[in-house]
Amino acid sequence: MGRGYTAEECVEKYLTSLSAAAGSCVTGLLIGQSSAQKDFVVLAVKTPHRESEGSPGGRRVSSPLDDIDEEWVAEHARQVSRMLPGGVSVLGLFLITPPDLSKEAQNTLKKLIFAVDKYICKSRLWDLSEDDVTDRVTLHICSKTRKAVCKTFDVKDPKCSAKPADWRYQSGISFSWPVLNCSVRVDLQIPVTDSSSEKCIKDGLRRWAKQIEAGLCLINGRQTSDDSELLSGSRKNVKTSQQLTFRAQILVSEEDPGAGQRCSAVVQACSRSVSVRGTVHCRAYIHSNKPRTRHAAQAIKRDVVDTVSNRVEMLLEDLLLNEGGNDSEQQDLPRRVFAPLSGSGLTVCDYMFPDETPADVAERFKELLDWDSAEGDIDTSMEAPACRSAPVLEAEDRCGDEASQPVPPVSPTEPVKKQNSTQYYAGVAVAAAVALLATATSLLYLNE
Amino acid sequence: MVQCFVAECEHSYSKSQCSFFRLPSDRKTRRTWEKLSGRPPDSSNENSRICSCHFMGGVKSAGPSLFSWDRERVSYLQASDNGVKEEPEEKDIVRPQGGPGRPTNNLSLLIATLDTPEGDEAVEETTVHFKKEEMESADCLIAKMVHTENNSLIFRLRGVLEFSCQLDSSNETQGQSAISKSFQTLRTRVSSESLVFSVCSSPVLLWPNKSFHSTVENLTEGAPYRDIQQYIEVEDGGSKKSSKKKDKKDTGPSVVNLKLLLEVTESGDSASLSLCTVTKPQHSLKMPVCVDCVFSASGQDTLGSVCSGLVGSLCNQLSDMEEVVLKYRKSTSLLVPQPFHFQLPESAGLVTVIYPAGVPDSQLLAVREELHEKYGLPSDRPCFRRANAFHFPDEAYKDGYLRNPHTHLNTPNVEDAKLYVVKGVYSYHHYMQDRVDDNGWGCAYRSLQTICSWFQQQGYTDRAVPTHTEIQQALVDVGDKEPPFVGSRQWIGSIEVQAVLNQLLGVTSKILFVSRGSELASKGRELANHFDTMGTPIMIGGGVLAHTILGVAWSEISGQIRFLILDPHYTGGEDLQTITEKGWCGWKGPEFWDQNAYYNLCLPQIPKTI
Repeated sequence: MGRGYTAEECVEKYLTSLSAAAGSCVTGLLIGQSSAQKDFVVLAVKTPHRESEGSPGGRRVSSPLDDIDEEWVAEHARQVSRMLPGGVSVLGLFLITPPDLSKEAQNTLKKLIFAVDKYICKSRLWDLSEDDVTDRVTLHICSKTRKAVCKTFDVKDPKCSAKPADWRYQSGISFSWPVLNCSVRVDLQIPVTDSSSEKCIKDGLRRWAKQIEAGLCLINGRQTSDDSELLSGSRKNVKTSQQLTFRAQILVSEEDPGAGQRCSAVVQACSRSVSVRGTVHCRAYIHSNKPRTRHAAQAIKRDVVDTVSNRVEMLLEDLLLNEGGNDSEQQDLPRRVFAPLSGSGLTVCDYMFPDETPADVAERFKELLDWDSAEGDIDTSMEAPACRSAPVLEAEDRCGDEASQPVPPVSPTEPVKKQNSTQYYAGVAVAAAVALLATATSLLYLNE
Repeated sequence: MVQCFVAECEHSYSKSQCSFFRLPSDRKTRRTWEKLSGRPPDSSNENSRICSCHFMGGVKSAGPSLFSWDRERVSYLQASDNGVKEEPEEKDIVRPQGGPGRPTNNLSLLIATLDTPEGDEAVEETTVHFKKEEMESADCLIAKMVHTENNSLIFRLRGVLEFSCQLDSSNETQGQSAISKSFQTLRTRVSSESLVFSVCSSPVLLWPNKSFHSTVENLTEGAPYRDIQQYIEVEDGGSKKSSKKKDKKDTGPSVVNLKLLLEVTESGDSASLSLCTVTKPQHSLKMPVCVDCVFSASGQDTLGSVCSGLVGSLCNQLSDMEEVVLKYRKSTSLLVPQPFHFQLPESAGLVTVIYPAGVPDSQLLAVREELHEKYGLPSDRPCFRRANAFHFPDEAYKDGYLRNPHTHLNTPNVEDAKLYVVKGVYSYHHYMQDRVDDNGWGCAYRSLQTICSWFQQQGYTDRAVPTHTEIQQALVDVGDKEPPFVGSRQWIGSIEVQAVLNQLLGVTSKILFVSRGSELASKGRELANHFDTMGTPIMIGGGVLAHTILGVAWSEISGQIRFLILDPHYTGGEDLQTITEKGWCGWKGPEFWDQNAYYNLCLPQIPKTI
């Protein structure tokens, strides 16, 4: 008996709406949550067009399947993963092909599945537990008959063969998924050597991630270490259709099991030190099919780790692009913003750099999730905008030795200005979006 | 002379002020009393008496109910028992899991009669009453009892904090302030609302700095500290199938272990995430700082006062650590500060001292001298070496050897006899241990190992207990034996033991020679004197088998003597019950010795050192 996938009805609508141009294929991601008993797919997203195609018409390929850019699909999966709250992840892929390619499609899907998994795992700071499902789902859809074939691959085993799985649709499966929220304070000091700064930062984050993972998680003030059910007790009073909100707390011990018995402090000569400080808002969803508290705890902990590592990674990517920039200062990491995902009970998130506006976020949602979000839906209130006054001085002070550190020139009026400008930008963005939409519509008409 | 019939009670007409009651004549009741007293059925006779100390309020009609093995009431007995000072402290602290002569069902019976709230209160009252009355006469003994006193409890908080510090490579002088600052950061952390105490083996979490928040409703700031015990699950060995409640009475913790956690989640909004880079050559120093604080709660202490006491000592400990780290700093090299708890003779609480890791005791003499002076301790015995650190009753010895099995024995019934036993802690070494089959030839080696373990655990040496081969090598090294002796299965005797102690530990020994075993009965004064002044285990060998003498019960008046023997010929596992019941560790009369064989006794002398 294979796995059983239950997909949200909107996924069906979305997949039906996708039509591959003659002789070509469409790939995309299947997003949701796996559990030991059941798997839930809440979202399907097609791979966006890669803009700077190397030489599309240069060489005639034998099959449109060879046209599929594995790297691009994987990169898309990674970017989308960053937009998902805790407990929700990329579960697999769909592929729409013409009928004659049905046979080869399975091989392509397998290749893609492993490529995507490898790529996502690379940037992940936590390890899979025994409870984790390592089966990934593939859905092959014939563009002509619309017949869908669902199979799974176990990413643990590169030699595995496809296993048949059950795929069906149901409406509103994620509407009542309980949500866990918490704000986590981060205070990390990471020594960095010139030669391998990225690795140093990653190692520093990994150590911290281990602490969080090993931490004690309280849900609504209660311990979660046992096998208890998350919804026990609360279920009787509340209608199941209602979404429950839980407050999570994480308690850590700074024990480092790998450290062993040392007699002296670890000394590391370094050229820089990086400190990551601040508070992040974390959110996780858990399916409503008798979820265990420990799974809920795991989901929120992973979100804590992911949201910090994602942001640092984004900043590092940014720095790489900007040729390092000038060091010795404070950089704001992007803020996490949330938006309710239509057709489900979930929210997705994005990271907004200080110089960005919700319009940028909406644009990314469009590009990566193929989803037109209303800008008003984007909730920027969960994390405070970067405020560069008093905390900066304190942070700087703690970074280096007191007086030797020059105080960076900071104008106290800046944050105020920024907030005003945000509104202004929002206005501009709405206008831009309207314009864009208009263009899109006209294009559509033109096509017809 | 009449001595109290109760097992482990040494009260007698002549020495104790308590009164003595006859056992009831009714057979059924008498059997119950015998059982309660930890004695076999029908073992009493018309001369048997139970002293009033075992009766609630000293009234006979109440029936005997107060016994030294019942931890809850131990202070009651000891408060009136100031005649015997030779008892090692461990006896008061380390309680056997199942004492000798104490069938498990007698325990349940005891609890059945006493486990009512009213009963508990009554005991408490009596104890308090006694404490006041006996304070003057019992002086230090009362103070010593603090940890095991009826309602006293040690709260022990442990945890790890990560010390992290950036030292400017170019600016050496600022190093000190940078280190101090990092310790200040740690102190701030433990003084913040995010500090959490997790009570081990229980679901209880306490936020001592967050207006005393707790995960259990009933555990409020003002709750008596003992309330916490009902939430602690006692780990059961699985052998006893009694209900939890009974277990609690029996092996209930006298130590409440707390683990230090830090909450990383917060409710209020605060600064957004930022990344701050400081570019300059520097040294990053990181070390885990293991904090270990104790708080002895008693009397009117509440959970709130216990927790604030612990937070206070946590901050103090971090300050002490800062001092030690700075003191032993060499440029960028920092030694990890490690806390040790010491129970001083004649002192109530535990003294915590921070030592730098990796610095051997031999290099810390100046520190110890200071400590000895500070606490007014004589400078002839080590008190503050790491090996002297307090052994918490709930911590098992990891090496697997039994410690001081003799403390679980009943004292012999010898008129007017005083006890002279080994001082401090030794481990029991015997045949077949350490995967060495020395059955038939290794008894003196084992006896020597027991002596070495004593010197090690008293802090005289850092040297591990020597193996057979090491012992043989030492004898070759001193020229006592030829090289082929190493690896052989040859016996050694007292003279060799003396040589090895000298060679490996630098310990000199006196040799006492008796040409016939029958003479040993007359050596009471010498042996008593040895245990009084030296307190080391004695190895006895000679014409026949080797043994270890751990003490004597000797009457100066009658000259009667019993020997406390630890037998290295035991080949079984480390089973305390077998060892004490079958006499592998036990009191023996003078007839124990081969009356016609000669004996050499090796009496190790303690060096005067701290």
